[in-house]
Amino acid sequence: MDKVIVTFELAGRDVDVMVSPMTTLQSVLRNQLGHTAVKDGCRQGGCGSCTVLVDGEPMMSCLLPVEDVAGRSVITLEGITPTDGLHPIQQAFLDANGYQCGYCTPGMIVVAKALLDHNPSPSRDEVVDALSGNVCRCTGYLPIIEAIESAVRAAGQQEARA
Amino acid sequence: MTTELHVVGQSVARSDGVGSVTGRSLFTADRSFPGMLHLKMVRSPVHHALLKGVDLSEAEKVRGFVRALTHADVPHNVYTILGLIGVEPEEEFVLAVDRVRYKGEPIVAILAETEAAAMEAVSKVRLDLEELPAVFDVEEALQPGAPVVTHWGNNTFMFEGHNCRRVRYGDVEQGFAEADHIVEGVYSTSPIEQAPLETTGCIALPEANGRYTVYTNTQALYFSLDNTSIILQVPGNRLHFIGGMVGGGFGGKVDVIVEPLATLGAMKTNRPVRYVYSRSEEMQVSSTRSAWKIRVKDGVTSDGRIIARKVTSYADSGAYSRQTPYALTKHAANAAGPYAIPNVWIDAYCVYTNRTPTSAMRGFGVTMASFAIEVQMDRIAERVGVDPWTIRFLNAYRNGDIKPHRKPAEDATLIETMQAAAVLVGHDLPEAFKAMTSDPRPTQEGGR
Amino acid sequence: MTVTSYFLPDSVPEALGLLETHGSSLLVMAGGTVAMPLINEGISLPGVVMGLRRAGLDRIERVGAELRIGATVTLTRLLDQDTVPMLRQAAGRTASWSIRNMGTVGGNLFTPPPGGDVAVALLALDARVTLTGPRGDRTVPLSEFWTGFMTSDLRPDELLTSITVPIEPGATTFVKFGRKHANTPAVVTVAVHLAVQGGTVTGARIALGAAGPHPMRAPGAEAAITGSALEPEAVGEAAAAAARECQAFTDGVASEWYRRRMVGVFVLRALTELAQPAGPAIGGGA
Repeated sequence: MDKVIVTFELAGRDVDVMVSPMTTLQSVLRNQLGHTAVKDGCRQGGCGSCTVLVDGEPMMSCLLPVEDVAGRSVITLEGITPTDGLHPIQQAFLDANGYQCGYCTPGMIVVAKALLDHNPSPSRDEVVDALSGNVCRCTGYLPIIEAIESAVRAAGQQEARA
Repeated sequence: MTTELHVVGQSVARSDGVGSVTGRSLFTADRSFPGMLHLKMVRSPVHHALLKGVDLSEAEKVRGFVRALTHADVPHNVYTILGLIGVEPEEEFVLAVDRVRYKGEPIVAILAETEAAAMEAVSKVRLDLEELPAVFDVEEALQPGAPVVTHWGNNTFMFEGHNCRRVRYGDVEQGFAEADHIVEGVYSTSPIEQAPLETTGCIALPEANGRYTVYTNTQALYFSLDNTSIILQVPGNRLHFIGGMVGGGFGGKVDVIVEPLATLGAMKTNRPVRYVYSRSEEMQVSSTRSAWKIRVKDGVTSDGRIIARKVTSYADSGAYSRQTPYALTKHAANAAGPYAIPNVWIDAYCVYTNRTPTSAMRGFGVTMASFAIEVQMDRIAERVGVDPWTIRFLNAYRNGDIKPHRKPAEDATLIETMQAAAVLVGHDLPEAFKAMTSDPRPTQEGGR
Repeated sequence: MTVTSYFLPDSVPEALGLLETHGSSLLVMAGGTVAMPLINEGISLPGVVMGLRRAGLDRIERVGAELRIGATVTLTRLLDQDTVPMLRQAAGRTASWSIRNMGTVGGNLFTPPPGGDVAVALLALDARVTLTGPRGDRTVPLSEFWTGFMTSDLRPDELLTSITVPIEPGATTFVKFGRKHANTPAVVTVAVHLAVQGGTVTGARIALGAAGPHPMRAPGAEAAITGSALEPEAVGEAAAAAARECQAFTDGVASEWYRRRMVGVFVLRALTELAQPAGPAIGGGA
């Protein structure tokens, strides 16, 4: 079986990986590139814990052959976390206790980032709809929704001051 | 003397908070080690069968196949999870020998260089199975002539020589004779899968000093270590179990299932071995909350006092008992409810069927008793013609009351809880109920 | 994984060439939302696979009185158009944001029940599919495309390349009932297109999902409502007819008994919605 080489942009830098055909982006990110914030809850596209951004759009990395992202940009939670401190959305999750076991948290934050990039002031319904692909078994979702809403408010206040 | 409080009364940030929101915290399957092998399990495709043979010849040809583990490789292949607290008999097989008792029962562990190779090799193992009749209902399982699930010949777990957990307090038949109403109900629940977002898993590594390090997401680290020690017949001090992040458990990660075989694999290959459940294994194979069937018969006076309660409960333990006997014990201790009832009879059965073994989940044994008892209380209220608050205040237990299993009630708070709930929902209780407390009743001749 | 080659052809002719070379052993995939779970689970163990993401099938354009949707147009892009409102409704009730970014309109036609919600809307819209093979294109009405559970008129040497939706006036509604509010397989899906003239229903297309081996029309219900002014009696008759004639089934989501009842409930609700005092909401033709 011939391996293939795939080049794509990860957190702003080009990476090359050698894979067996149709290795998933999830597998490449976790096992070859050390991006273990991309989680592995089901491999069915049903839980959302593997969500990454491909050219800014949220996708289930467990359903994406890595060949399909050749030449495209991929962002994981590792790419959202700054080298110092926390992204405002991460701070909001921390402050609002928007997590318990932590397993769904990366996927939730990745989707939240995509949502706010598309729509800086979503309604609660829009937040809920955006999160409909992400399962949480611990929190009952409310702390997560409130964390995102508080991130929206904080960003709005930032805007007002700027 | 005043003490300065540094934590009590303060909002304290969780120590794993930053790790969770950055994704830097490592869960079990986030770790990897050079030379790591992947363990995938060959499982029974049927509910009940004689296992006549296993053919590994095609599986062994798969590129990346390293070795298989069968029951012959397991030093102590039959065990009971609760054996550590004296529960007998040993009944569960780490790997099936000559019979399978539930769909998904582990038969052969395949170790391979990659997950894909392990999965391919698993798909090529041939099993020689002779299917047997299967039973899926607790009451059917107790009928004479029902398919027998256990290897010792009957379908009930024995509690100190009895085929059920029993509570006998007073004389229920006398109580029924004296009652003005008999209220009966049958309450059934389904199995529930805990479905933690992170699946069950572990990685076992051989260390240079002859010990084995096991990274695991078990909820019960010492439990897992001690059972692994028993199964592998190695002293506990040769095992080093490391926990940490657990991506949800809810009782779904208290059975000791993956660590013994991963560790055995590390022993046999001298390489790290990873055994992590897929989502479908987590749903189908890992233990669930038991299904319950609970029959309640109450004798009630015309003013709503319960003077006799008879409870017959059946927990569907599935093919192996796991933690269900413990559930039955808790159930029996709670099935009369937080109420003062002078005559109580409880028979609580742990029944084997060919379903997935059931075990722990959030208050197992007791939550189902609560469900049955509280619906029953509302039925009694309706029959007697009082409201649901009244029936509970009338029958509420107090501190010092002797519970049916002969323990005095301590920290009884049903009355105070209902009073607080009434305030919260804006329900105005009669003064007599507002004035009630859980204080011990005035002492009577002979006590209660 | 057993895959030895994964092809991402850049054009339809290249894709057809691969289909000819590898025949039925070639697994064809668009968004991957149906195939990849099976491959990940080890249920499907293909040797050669072809993905269609780059084959140039992702154009969506209005041509005259038709909306032409390339087979690999994602469900998200249906949310961005308002030429055919019912397709926006259907896409919005399908899966989740991430899955909509990956799943395709063409792929939705091959999603087994209880999936395929957008396909149900397309059936009610009287869509046609274009099937492209070595000898060129042919067009098949969607109502004749499916032949059974997971079987269709698509020949082994063909690819489904586009879906054409007529843009015509009519009253439409789409309702999906699932056990959760969102991202859930359907207990039942109902899509309705009514042609209304002077308050009278002159034509009706009622499509049901998760009520048979593939999305199906409900001809008895359609006959019951045609010629009516959407009076409660006619609406009730149509709902009862739909419940009788559907091929409800039992799965992990719902029993046959419950599905059949819910077909009746939701056909009733859909038609009642269209019978509002203000008159049926007119959509399409925008």
